[in-house]
Amino acid sequence: MTRASSGVEKTIWDRLFTALVAAIYIFLMFPIVLVVVLSFNSGEFLAFPLEGFSLRWFEALFSNKRFLDATLYSLQIAATSTIVNGVIGTLAAIYVARHATVARDYIRLLMTSPLLVPEILTAIALLFYFYEIRIGTDYSIGIQIGHIVVTFPYVFLNVSSALFNFDRSQEEAARSLGAGGWMTFRRVTLPAIKPGIITGCLFAFVISFDIFNISLLLKSLGKNTLPLELFDYLRFNFDPTAAAIASLSIFMTFAAILIIDRTVGLRSLRF
Amino acid sequence: MSAVGAAPRLEGRGNRGSASWMVVPALVLLIGFFALPYLTIITMSLREASTRAVYGDGFTLAHYTTALGDLYIWGILGRTLLIGATVTVISLLLGYPVAYHLAKSRSRWTSLLYIFVLSPLLVGLVVRTFAWMIILSNNGVANQALQAVGLINFPLQLMNNPLGVTIALTHVFLPFIILPLLGNLQAISPDLAMASRSLGASRMRTFWKVTLPLSMPGIQAGTILVFVLSISAYVTPAMLGGTGGRTMSVLVVQYLVDNFRWPAGAALAIIMAAVAVLFVGLYLRLTARAMRRLP
Repeated sequence: MTRASSGVEKTIWDRLFTALVAAIYIFLMFPIVLVVVLSFNSGEFLAFPLEGFSLRWFEALFSNKRFLDATLYSLQIAATSTIVNGVIGTLAAIYVARHATVARDYIRLLMTSPLLVPEILTAIALLFYFYEIRIGTDYSIGIQIGHIVVTFPYVFLNVSSALFNFDRSQEEAARSLGAGGWMTFRRVTLPAIKPGIITGCLFAFVISFDIFNISLLLKSLGKNTLPLELFDYLRFNFDPTAAAIASLSIFMTFAAILIIDRTVGLRSLRF
Repeated sequence: MSAVGAAPRLEGRGNRGSASWMVVPALVLLIGFFALPYLTIITMSLREASTRAVYGDGFTLAHYTTALGDLYIWGILGRTLLIGATVTVISLLLGYPVAYHLAKSRSRWTSLLYIFVLSPLLVGLVVRTFAWMIILSNNGVANQALQAVGLINFPLQLMNNPLGVTIALTHVFLPFIILPLLGNLQAISPDLAMASRSLGASRMRTFWKVTLPLSMPGIQAGTILVFVLSISAYVTPAMLGGTGGRTMSVLVVQYLVDNFRWPAGAALAIIMAAVAVLFVGLYLRLTARAMRRLP
């Protein structure tokens, strides 16, 4: 008997455990795979048996002006949130990591708090607040600010984590060699924390594209984001066109995941 | 010119004043559009109702007393908490094995498995809930499968009730318990389990006496996260809860959007938040006591 491999011996319990874990992975992925499969099914219904491969539901989707408008609107809001947070989130993270002293913990708490409270409460708070300060929901500014607030922590946290792992002596070396503050930042700090910024921005983009509650309460009349449009559509329809939209959104998410995985590695994600 | 005078200042000490502009935009955003708005929920909940405007002139506690005297609202609050607690327990039972497996895994598939855990988190809530509607509806995939196998003759009612909401929410929030647990389990030194094993403890005993107690912080963080997320979830109960699975969030949004009763809706939101804080506080005290008894 090989006692040396005692930790690796496979007992019946090991096999049962592996089977259990496999079942849970299937539970996690099954609904997502199902949506994608049904979006390519030529049948009229969102059910089995499959009737054959077809792109008809994607055609139906691309000829639907409401969905196209909603997609563009969502992309616009997500891109704006990403750019704004990419700048102010990165700056704030550098400040907290490098310069803050007295109120550091409080600032950090404030910067992450949109993640710590339920999104629906933030949405309600902003709905009332925009009414009180006369911004209202007639324009896109309200929904845009809401998206920026909710996605801010993703950039802040990922850049903070990159800064934490970055060896400061490199900055000091650059400065002692005569580089100015801006030069040091641009040539040393920025390249080092770039992966954190990219991850944070991608994350902010995907989350902004997906979030619902903020958009539901802060949207202006007749302007829907894609999740809102899908939600409204599903109230009166239940057909594979909805699966096609869902599929597109899933593909986008997986593209983002692959980019993160290939560039910086998924395990560096912070949230 | 002396070399000392030309040496650049290395530390931030002297630069602190000049660097504070960096945090100003973020502070403006989060104080102006996050902290202050939360105060308006409180003030809104104290406003008088009005039929002509969003709220009337005076202030009142009536929305709280009305809500707290309403058995219907108590029922929905109870259902919300029950769903939240059930989702939390099931998520822990399903999430722990996955986190444990992933923390121990040395296979080259680990990164793929990690994607399996992470991706549901990043796919939109509406999309995931829609997927569960396909599975749970009366002629949905689950009922089709059960009928094909011959287990049932008539479709089971799997959605438009708390059951459907619980199943879908468990799926939606499972990654939120796996990830903190994974971080926690990976941080535990494998030497400890090895020491326990070499001292003669069985693997089961090692798990119960060493690994599980050491992973309590991860369990605590993950369960609180899932509980808070599931009692405040809106999309899933709104899409597949029907009237039988209506939760507090759905009721609050109905007050705000459909009935235009902002002050009463604000009071309901605060009651929901207060109950959540109460339960989390209670839970923290209980788990803190349990964790103090650890070796």
